[in-house]
Amino acid sequence: MAYEKINECFLVTDLYYSVEDNTWVRVNDDGTVTVGMTDVAQSLAGPILHARSKKPGTARKKGRPIGTVESGKWVGPVKSPVSGEIIEVNEELESDAQMLNRSPYYKGWIVKMKPDNLEADLADLVTGEAAVEAYRAKIDKEGITCTHIEGTETPEA
Amino acid sequence: MSEDLEGKKILVIQTHGVDTPTRTYSPIYYAVAAAAMEMDVMLWFTMNGTNQLKKGEAEKVSLVPESGVTLKSMLQMALDNDVKLRVCQQSLTLWDMQPEDLIDGVEILGATSIISLALESDHVMYF
Repeated sequence: MAYEKINECFLVTDLYYSVEDNTWVRVNDDGTVTVGMTDVAQSLAGPILHARSKKPGTARKKGRPIGTVESGKWVGPVKSPVSGEIIEVNEELESDAQMLNRSPYYKGWIVKMKPDNLEADLADLVTGEAAVEAYRAKIDKEGITCTHIEGTETPEA
Repeated sequence: MSEDLEGKKILVIQTHGVDTPTRTYSPIYYAVAAAAMEMDVMLWFTMNGTNQLKKGEAEKVSLVPESGVTLKSMLQMALDNDVKLRVCQQSLTLWDMQPEDLIDGVEILGATSIISLALESDHVMYF
């Protein structure tokens, strides 16, 4: 899986990103999408203590929370980057919320969704080189350097 | 997370201020957590709680060691999550504060307002 590293922040280049909300979308072969939070998001939050997701069957408009994440210093919503229905939640996060820190793009996925209008929603996100450039700008502007807890998985090149 | 939590009204009353930093963090954190759960949240500052809203004061209060989290950054997190910040008008005089002394984003309300807001809320948390 191709990835970039900007100021220690990993970015998997084949995902679609909402740079503002620090979330990503993976388009699955069956037309569903997997959603999670970025390495930048986990780094800003610090070691995560609890993650709660909305239940399967919940309809979400883009921008509304699919769940909440809390650390010792931060709490907030994870905003859905697409509109659609939540069809599956990552139940492992309930017992091991720091999976979000250790593997934000893989084992730490948050929900799977059946999107309502994927093409239109993806057009509002960035991917590939555009995502790298957008994150580079954000990371520079906000002076972010990502930190990682023990056991963090590096995305495979 | 239960969907019927969405839109519930939570009123958080904060009576502790910069003189007792360890009593300032949790009420704001709870308020932001409720907002993240899509509730309608108001943080009401009165008594000593009022003094943290004076410009320049909350920055001085470091809350989570070595993380850069200050009382000011917590208040900003509340504002960023659409938590309404309100201050008791009468309590401003306790601290010799004028409306222009308040940080941005805070609205001043009187005592009758807090009574109405308490009655209209689904739950009141007071600290």
